Amino acid sequence: MSTTAPTTVATPRPATPRLNLWLRKIGIGIPLLALAVWTIYPLLMTLSISFKTKADVSADPGLIPSNPTLDGYRSVLERQGFQDAFINSMVVGLGTALLTVALAVPAAYAFARFRFRGRHLLLLFTLLPRLIPGLGLMVPLYRIAVALGAIDQLLTLIVAFTATVLPIAVWLFVGFFQQVPRELEEAANVDGASLFTRIRYIVLPLAFPAIITVGVLAFREAWNEFNLVLGLTSTPGSRTLPYELFLMTQTTGFQDNPGQAAFAIMTIIPFIFVYLRLEKHVVSGLTSGALK
Amino acid sequence: MTGARADTSSLIGHSKSTPYLLSGPSILMVTALLVFPVVYALWGSLYDVEFLGGPQHFVGLSQYIDLFQDPDFLWSVSRTLIFVAGVLIIGISLGLVFAFALSRATGRLRFMRGLTIVPYLISGIATAVIFRLILNRDFGEVNRVLSLFGIEDLAWFSNPTLAMLASMLAQVWSDLPLVVLLLLGGLMTIDADLLDAADVDGATGWKRAWKVSIPLIAPQLLLATILLSYQALTSLGVIIALTGGGPVDATRTLPIALYEAAFVELKTNQALAIVIVILVFNAVLTLSYWGLSRRYDLEVA
Repeated sequence: MSTTAPTTVATPRPATPRLNLWLRKIGIGIPLLALAVWTIYPLLMTLSISFKTKADVSADPGLIPSNPTLDGYRSVLERQGFQDAFINSMVVGLGTALLTVALAVPAAYAFARFRFRGRHLLLLFTLLPRLIPGLGLMVPLYRIAVALGAIDQLLTLIVAFTATVLPIAVWLFVGFFQQVPRELEEAANVDGASLFTRIRYIVLPLAFPAIITVGVLAFREAWNEFNLVLGLTSTPGSRTLPYELFLMTQTTGFQDNPGQAAFAIMTIIPFIFVYLRLEKHVVSGLTSGALK
Repeated sequence: MTGARADTSSLIGHSKSTPYLLSGPSILMVTALLVFPVVYALWGSLYDVEFLGGPQHFVGLSQYIDLFQDPDFLWSVSRTLIFVAGVLIIGISLGLVFAFALSRATGRLRFMRGLTIVPYLISGIATAVIFRLILNRDFGEVNRVLSLFGIEDLAWFSNPTLAMLASMLAQVWSDLPLVVLLLLGGLMTIDADLLDAADVDGATGWKRAWKVSIPLIAPQLLLATILLSYQALTSLGVIIALTGGGPVDATRTLPIALYEAAFVELKTNQALAIVIVILVFNAVLTLSYWGLSRRYDLEVA
């Protein structure tokens, strides 16, 4: 700015700041473009390959397939196990979401509103999922499940996944419940509302965004989890999508590239839809939960 | 700690046992499925069997002693350290560049923030499949672009060094959203007056970023470093579906060694000892993360 000499009013903006501005725009524009390419291009390429014939994958490397086909999707849908795995993933995902919310809401309410021995466990709760990642649970839970005869059951998966998301879920709800003004509950209390009535009619409606966030978070965890599925299932009919996709990469190797791409896309798409619809609720929840 | 102000004296309709009844199921479940398995692993790692399916007998710490004398295990430890270091270098550099760019993306470009999180929604296995396709030697997009610059025919999955690099890239792709959002959160809290003051003093662009912004987001950078480390330390799905630990064990990190001991060689007692080793590494990272976040009084913990 100091280089400008405002001698004539009619002169357009001096060259140096304009050059600076232009440089600054490029300085932001190039990294932003790189970010978009880094994030989206691998997905677009996979989407493109999923619509190609096996031969065209190397013969026609462009982004837009010249002979688009649904063969890749057909080969996946015909795979024994894909349909089972898809249904299993849905059941386990929804089951985990429901069970997590059902257990976390009352626990978080207790942590947020009551003074009781054991309330200090909340701190432990926030640390546990990071101290004990799914990878660490894989082998011990496998041995325990074998001993209990609980292997290969969807309920076992739901219970195990719920336990791994519960701490984060409780922590998110506690933060939320503390923002619900207690005066609101005190007023209802004076009117004779019981604890259950207060939770049902005051706290839960206000906590709706948090419930959505936690539900999506739990669903994502169950939908994407691989380590625990590896440990807790051994027969084809009991697996979820990531494990089936892993098996496909092991058995067909590099031969059926459109099929692998189509499988990956089909495991991604449902979640992207859920996410796009709920983005504004979920982003903050996902990040705060994940960063914990 | 959250919830320090709970006082229920004015709320009626509950007895002394109410909070225990409300929180009991969750505490029980977490104890049974998160805490107990670790105790079980610790106990199991002190035993061994003579033959597969045979009776267990107490062997004390000999599983651990064997592990740390086993060249294969030490190789896996060294692969893990290289993998974590590579993920950190790539992840923090890219994370910083993208976070800075996003912090300036205003108006119509704000949608980019929503876009950034997408890889985080995708499972490790699907991420590996995507990278197998784009890094494919024959038709992979990455090789096609590199050939424009005269770099021809990179064999990503049969060259040990490139396979390690491929694993790092896939891992970073998967976890970068968390890093970017964490760093972006830090950048957004920097006082605009401070940056204006730096501007007036003639510090712009790189200089301002390096001398003013980066020191101010040091806490978030430390947290991102630890976050990336433990994600990389416990990453099984990405590596196993991308390289399977190969070629010639080049990417056989600790999680792969754990998988092989437990489900390929079926030495589950040895696998439990590996679990404990991984958990100890992880605990060191987590506790330093927790300590830092409390020290800097960050909202994330």
